[in-house]
Amino acid sequence: MEKRGIYQRYLNRFGWFCVAPAMAFFTLFMLYPILSSLYYVTRRWKGMSNTFIGLGNFVRMAHDTIFQDALAHNFFFLVIQVPLMIFLALMLATLLNQGIKRFRGAVRLAIFLPAVTSLVVVSVLFRVLLQTNGLLNNIMIQAHLITTPIGWLTDAFWAKITIILAMTWRWTGYNMVFFLVGLQSIDTEIYEAAEVDGASKVRQFFTITIPLLVPVILFSAVTSTSGTMQLFDEPNILTWQGGPANATMTAALYIYRQAFFVNADFGYATAMSYVVVLISGIFAFVQMRLLGERRAK
Amino acid sequence: MKKRMFIVLALVATLVVGLSAQKKLTVWCWDPNFNVYAMKQAAAVYNKTHPKVTIEIVDMAQDIEAKIISGLQAGGAGLPDIALFQDFRIEQFLHDYPKAFVDLKAAGVDYSKFAAYKVGPMTVGDHVYGIPFDTGSTGLWLRTDYMKAAGLNPDDYMGKDLTWSDVIKLGETVKAKTGKPLLAYQSDNFDMLRIVVQSTGGQFFKPDGSLDLHSLAFEKSLALFKELNDKGLLYPVVGWSDWINAINSDKSAGFLNAIWMVGSVKSRPANAGKYMIIPTPRIEGVPGAANASNNGGSSWYVFSSSPNKARAVDFLKSVWATDTPDNEAFYNEILKGAGAMGTFLPCQTGSNYTAPDDFFYKSQPIYKDFAAWMKDVPVLRYTPNYVPMRDAVAHATLGYFQGKYKTIDETISAAEAEYKQVMGQ
Repeated sequence: MEKRGIYQRYLNRFGWFCVAPAMAFFTLFMLYPILSSLYYVTRRWKGMSNTFIGLGNFVRMAHDTIFQDALAHNFFFLVIQVPLMIFLALMLATLLNQGIKRFRGAVRLAIFLPAVTSLVVVSVLFRVLLQTNGLLNNIMIQAHLITTPIGWLTDAFWAKITIILAMTWRWTGYNMVFFLVGLQSIDTEIYEAAEVDGASKVRQFFTITIPLLVPVILFSAVTSTSGTMQLFDEPNILTWQGGPANATMTAALYIYRQAFFVNADFGYATAMSYVVVLISGIFAFVQMRLLGERRAK
Repeated sequence: MKKRMFIVLALVATLVVGLSAQKKLTVWCWDPNFNVYAMKQAAAVYNKTHPKVTIEIVDMAQDIEAKIISGLQAGGAGLPDIALFQDFRIEQFLHDYPKAFVDLKAAGVDYSKFAAYKVGPMTVGDHVYGIPFDTGSTGLWLRTDYMKAAGLNPDDYMGKDLTWSDVIKLGETVKAKTGKPLLAYQSDNFDMLRIVVQSTGGQFFKPDGSLDLHSLAFEKSLALFKELNDKGLLYPVVGWSDWINAINSDKSAGFLNAIWMVGSVKSRPANAGKYMIIPTPRIEGVPGAANASNNGGSSWYVFSSSPNKARAVDFLKSVWATDTPDNEAFYNEILKGAGAMGTFLPCQTGSNYTAPDDFFYKSQPIYKDFAAWMKDVPVLRYTPNYVPMRDAVAHATLGYFQGKYKTIDETISAAEAEYKQVMGQ
């Protein structure tokens, strides 16, 4: 008995020893920042000095229309881009899974490549393409699609469209891969049975493929939503610091600018991050409830 | 015994590392054709007398301020020994991080030998923190080939102090005949507006540091920009790379900017013989307006967190702030090589300061001209809050161009509102 107790204690100790590095890193890089953010959020920072202002940062946020507009831009991107991208990814995945027989690997690579390419590099090319006198406008004018050049980067509305296009270009392939895996895990016998019952391809897609893919769609929607809430690279580089005139300013970019660019106000930046985390959490919860319930039916 | 050996070895190792670290200086800056190039030349001069010191110059591109803020926030961790700061940016850092920089006046730098307008932003009370680097003396850059194509004689304009109405007339002629807008213009960027406002002697801030946009100078400047825009005389671009690209792909018949554009213009051989530079145009009806202005310009700073700060100070002082024949040759060289005109006055006597430059129309001695204009530049008050002001004004101006704001008053109110929100006032 006693011997086993010692061995058990040894095992326990060994177990703790094994997870200790992970625990240490977790404490240092997750727990400590989260706890210290509780301190930051109550203060107004300016460089090395700071003063206690209680909930002042949240009051400031309530009056800060730039932040509110930035959140509204996040919603705009979210509502249009996420469904569009999931739809495209689903279509491409289905095509790759069934239609295209040759060059499948090459096509898959071409669609996935944007997700692993550095946006900093790509945006230089994008900016050349999208300039007022750029390639895209020139082609569209030549083809008589438009008469005056579109301000892809200079007009408040079109710059938002540019962001949506760039995000879709970048992330569709990434999400498509999940759908491909999902599609391949669906048993072909189900389709054969439907075939025998006389269901058309379209009917099969909507009554078999989509319902069975709901877990993947849910995963894709939740990760894309939280990704869009943190949108930073595209508005910072492609439309240049949230331009034109803050038209593509997002919450994450504004937080970054408050902390590291304009003010070094880490308190206000932390407070805004809290709000973004809260909103992202609510979205994830709602999506899980909506799609989860449908699955239970 | 083994343990002791280990400790001795470890001590020796740290000593070796420590000593070799002292022989290495790291410098952060940006723009390989300009700042990086100039600093490399300076390092070469220093290495002549200090061959064992390695000076590593890192091109930091866009993120340099964000990286420096993170480093300062972490008490100096990861920072280099020396960094370059824009003159308009440094007051924010000196204000937010009062102990982060080495006082170079206390280290014996004689600031009476530098152009006075460069020393102002780096001075806090009795302390002066930087080594002034380049000037941003501005001029109106014009493509003589397009002027000729429009039936104008460039010689009629050369060296002339024009008013903005002269320039608009010129622009309309060029546009009508060649279809080229007169000026490339960074629509998200405040540089050109700043050049115009500064040329009038106007300010964006009151002496106490509070925002002041309701001035005759600012209102007149905005009205001028609106006119230029409405008459199609601006070629709008977004961001730095597009700006360079527009200039080097014949999108406009000219631009309004500083001497440091020389490097970018020269980087394209096809520009040879085409450009001439005339004095910055003057706004009529604003008392004190001059045919000279400034844009940009940077200076070198030493971080007090640097373990090699004595070495770093010695390097900056002995190359950038001491009058020797070697240093004179260095300042002369970077002027020719990059168009980097230093502001250390004793070293402004080199041959390149007066030499004709064959790259420009009729071999214009451009450096002589820029140096002459520099003397008339009205001083601009930056304050620590220059960046939020700059962005707010640039955003409001774009809104005015695009019809979001109907009047100048509305535009100014929008700029003030954004400034207050970003500042949390």
